[in-house]
Amino acid sequence: MSVVEIINRRDVGTLASFTLQAREDLCLSGPVRLTKGRVHEAMGDSADMFAVLAASRLSGPIIWIGLSRDIGSLAPTALQDFIDPARVILTEGISRSEVLWAAEQALRAACAPCVVIELSNGPNLRESRRLQIAAEEGGGIGILLIHGRAQTSACETRWLCEASNAGENMWTWSLTKNRKGELGAWQVRWARFGTNFETNSETRGGAYEAGVIHLAAATAA
Amino acid sequence: MKRVLSIWLPQLPLDLRRRKGDLRAAGVFAVMSEIKNAWRLIHLSEAALAAGLSAGVSLPDARAICPELLTEPSDPVREAALLRALWRWADCLSPWVALDSPDGLFLDITGCAHLFGGEPAMAAHTRERLADMQITSRIGIADTKGAAWAMARFGDQEESLAPAGKTGAALAALPVEALRLPQKITSDLRRTGLQNIEQLMGIKRAELARRFGLDLTQSLSAALGHSPDPMSPKAADPVYAARMTLPDPIGFQADLLGVLERLTTSVCRRLAADGKGARRYYLTVRCVDTGDHLLHIGFARPTHETRAVMQQFRKPLDELKIEFGADWFRLEAAHIEPIQPFQISLDQHKQAENDTSKIISTLGNRLGFDRVRQFMPVQSHLPEREFVSVEAMDRREPVSWTLTPRRRPVRLFRRPERLVTLQAGRPPKRFQWRKSIYATREAKGPERLSAEWWQDDRGALRDYWQVQTEDGPRLWLMTYPGSAEPNWFIAGRFA
Repeated sequence: MSVVEIINRRDVGTLASFTLQAREDLCLSGPVRLTKGRVHEAMGDSADMFAVLAASRLSGPIIWIGLSRDIGSLAPTALQDFIDPARVILTEGISRSEVLWAAEQALRAACAPCVVIELSNGPNLRESRRLQIAAEEGGGIGILLIHGRAQTSACETRWLCEASNAGENMWTWSLTKNRKGELGAWQVRWARFGTNFETNSETRGGAYEAGVIHLAAATAA
Repeated sequence: MKRVLSIWLPQLPLDLRRRKGDLRAAGVFAVMSEIKNAWRLIHLSEAALAAGLSAGVSLPDARAICPELLTEPSDPVREAALLRALWRWADCLSPWVALDSPDGLFLDITGCAHLFGGEPAMAAHTRERLADMQITSRIGIADTKGAAWAMARFGDQEESLAPAGKTGAALAALPVEALRLPQKITSDLRRTGLQNIEQLMGIKRAELARRFGLDLTQSLSAALGHSPDPMSPKAADPVYAARMTLPDPIGFQADLLGVLERLTTSVCRRLAADGKGARRYYLTVRCVDTGDHLLHIGFARPTHETRAVMQQFRKPLDELKIEFGADWFRLEAAHIEPIQPFQISLDQHKQAENDTSKIISTLGNRLGFDRVRQFMPVQSHLPEREFVSVEAMDRREPVSWTLTPRRRPVRLFRRPERLVTLQAGRPPKRFQWRKSIYATREAKGPERLSAEWWQDDRGALRDYWQVQTEDGPRLWLMTYPGSAEPNWFIAGRFA
């Protein structure tokens, strides 16, 4: 039974009437916040870095789900600047419905504070509601990386993430949709703590924070 | 007086194939193995022996002697399995049976022989029963393990008996190889002119030990019964399995789950009692019309929790098409490992780890365990070889990553993607990739990498450039230096 069938079978009324509890935010930097227990969308060239930086603020495994062609190019050698690559659990689906099923399971399991889902096109209202409910149960953050077009969805926020040409580790993050707050756009720069990486990685008790995210400039949307 | 029966199965690999109905074993056929860097024949059929071949001949020589020879590499795993099966079968002869790998068994038949009508009758009975199973055998009976072993291999008859208390006399005529010594010692003995055991018995033990080492004297005195040589029958590995046969076939999901629950409870209780868990569970469902169906589930860590096993089986059972019902079920636990119990409430870290393996199991059972993977570092300077991904199920210990001094892209394409150069340069000033046009703002490079010298294709040098484009993305461009018309590729994208 595919996920889509389950979605179609479920009573849409119960999905619509599902209320989400208020949850605390994960603060990436200043006003750049992601609510926990919700699903967020990220688009643009550097959407994966948005997910990686969010994950770097959390501890525990990162379940990274997608089709083989999408997740196959992920390289841990560069990821280790930001997160411990051993945290990443790659999960490969062979179809969109498998990816969505795995995403729901992973979001529902309370063990993963961060689930990254790569999709070619954004989820529709039904798919995103199901993911939202699963995230609400699990309490983790779901980040959807959308390579193609986004659709109208029940996701909490939508970010457009583009690399900046000003230098390394600099991006422009624009919040283009927000159900609970204001929109905005920020110039973001990531800087490593100190120069000696090894000394910082030893304090790995909580989050593996290898650096800090600076907001270089904020531009009103 | 203790009596030991040794069974030698000289043609076990050939018997294995004969039992499978392999017709080649009747013709000119040999089983070979790689010895001293050459394929050599180790077991030959009678036709092959008649053709002038012998054990130890290398395969090319054998082919030259007998071109129609058919060969097959030996299969130690299957041979060991057959030997173990015979080991269990030998329970019908004596309660005290020990394995003598790779091709024999020891039976302590003290007080058993009269049940078969005496020792010669027992030996004949054993050989007959083995022959019924198409297994060639030779049997030796003596007072000690060593002597029985020697009688089975080097006795002049198929069934050689050394009468009780006359071991020395029976062994006297046998060659020195019968003492089961390393090749080096026997060839040393032969070189000094010692051919048989009688000659050895005539020499003082101290002299022998001084010249040939303690192995020889120990082996000799064990064979003659002067020093103890106990037999240790190994207990069979416990099989954690449960079976249920029903008088009438069942087909409803609830009934199936009921059966599964009983089987799981029984298997898991036994596992838990032994402090063990299984990583895999196999359920065989025998349908009345379509035969056996094997369902299997796996776990990221060994478990003996009934609920977890039931939960993972629910999905494959749901997908199984049972039309006319099933009446036979068997659940078997495999990949058994010990598990250390831990307190659930106090150890939060362990609990989180447990949850992680649970989700890995859930995802793996549905998608396939090869699809749930984790990264492992590899020592290499090539960007695509610096890491591998392994099945998350298999990874046991945490790994440590060392930061590479070189900058590497976050997205590294398995196969570099060709770009279209719009404005030439090194790297190109403007280019098209994935339907977008990029202009180079800054470029850092080249970083020249050659393939690892031990690989075959070490000719291919590669130059990499880090390119900052005007639009933002930092790309990793690659080219092969030295080619007349430079082809450019996108190897990856930086953070």
